[in-house]
Amino acid sequence: MKRAQRWAALAIIFGLMIGSTATLAGEMKADAATAADAIARAEAAQKKADSVNGEWRDTGKFIKNAKKAAEDGDYAKAVRLANKAESEGNLGYQQAVSQSELKIPSYLKAMY
Amino acid sequence: MKKILISLAVLLVAATTVQAGPEEDRMAFIKYYKGKFPSVPRDEYANGAYAIDPIGRENWEAIEEFPPYEPFIDRGQEMWEKPFANGKGYKDCFPEGPAIAQNYPHWDREQGLVMTLPLALNQCREANGEKPLKYKKGPINNILAYIAFQSRGKVINVEVPKDDPRAMAAFEEGKKFYFTRRGQLNFSCSTCHVQNTGLKVRTEILSPSVGHVTHWPVYRSKWGTVGTLHRRFTGCNKNIRAKPMKAQGPEYRNLEYFLSYLSNGLELNGPGARK
Ligand code: HEC
Repeated sequence: MKRAQRWAALAIIFGLMIGSTATLAGEMKADAATAADAIARAEAAQKKADSVNGEWRDTGKFIKNAKKAAEDGDYAKAVRLANKAESEGNLGYQQAVSQSELKIPSYLKAMY
Repeated sequence: MKKILISLAVLLVAATTVQAGPEEDRMAFIKYYKGKFPSVPRDEYANGAYAIDPIGRENWEAIEEFPPYEPFIDRGQEMWEKPFANGKGYKDCFPEGPAIAQNYPHWDREQGLVMTLPLALNQCREANGEKPLKYKKGPINNILAYIAFQSRGKVINVEVPKDDPRAMAAFEEGKKFYFTRRGQLNFSCSTCHVQNTGLKVRTEILSPSVGHVTHWPVYRSKWGTVGTLHRRFTGCNKNIRAKPMKAQGPEYRNLEYFLSYLSNGLELNGPGARK
């Protein structure tokens, strides 16, 4: 059991390393086109979240800053911010649709 | 046998479709807070967090001796009395005079929406060729402060007319908004103002939602001025890192409808002062 856990931990660390080098490589490769693409995806995700009133506070700011970074030629930064915004958009959307039905929380439900 | 089965089935359907109406909601909130704060009298809820926070209360009572919202009431009175460019004024739109806060929010059948006092004021302005006022900051708070002051002592009595299903739908929308978790922190209004009422967030004690609407506009020390209820909604949404809705848009007006119903029976005591 102990050994299995150690292996699992190693696997996770290894996975993280691969993951981060991959994103690093991704950032280094980022160019105007990838940045524009990432920003477009972020905007689509933001719109989707907004359509169900699920948008988070800073998503728009991330997109704005991503655009600014792209204009300044910092494509890696643009992609990073746009990806963050896209992920927030998706999470906000899921958060809203997962609650499409009203549920009174149990601590209050007990009072009815 | 068949008959019994049928009537059983009917009973079952009836039992599952009985929905909690506004009054059941209000009573549930009251019962919940009563359990949490057994020694707090009902009327005290109009004082927000100061009903349950003895230290904050002392500070607040000292502030109320020289009310920071007073100059805004005076400016509001000037607005109320000053005619528009066309010679008409607020008095013509609201002939029952400035003590009208207790009539809002209400269901407006003609327009098919929840009518709030700020919206009614701006509709009056626009009908007379005046520019609408901004809904969160600025002069709208002056006229609201004057009306609130004149309406002190009137009792909140929000109604959800049963003969117009759109009214109940708006109430339900507001209720849904209240209980929906939002933003990066995944909190609903209820998380803070019901589940965690009485606990501290940074330097503030979380107030109960019964009493939330009695005292607007509010002079907040943090704002350094008076602000509207929807400005407060905006702040609470931003705190949990959710994008706020538009002030006086349908979401916040429906939320106000639900929230105000919870305060039925309490006296208006605006304008208020808060931290
Ligand atoms: C992170 C916790 C949190 C959440 C979630 C939250 N609020 Fe608040 N709210 C506060 C704090 C803190 C204050 C200031 C102290 C107090 O009066 O409760 C406050 C104050 C208020 C007040 C003013 C109370 C007064 O006496 O003047 C209102 C009204 C209000 N909130 C409504 C809402 C509504 C509606 C929602 C949901 C959209 C909401 N809040 C969500 C933390 C929260």
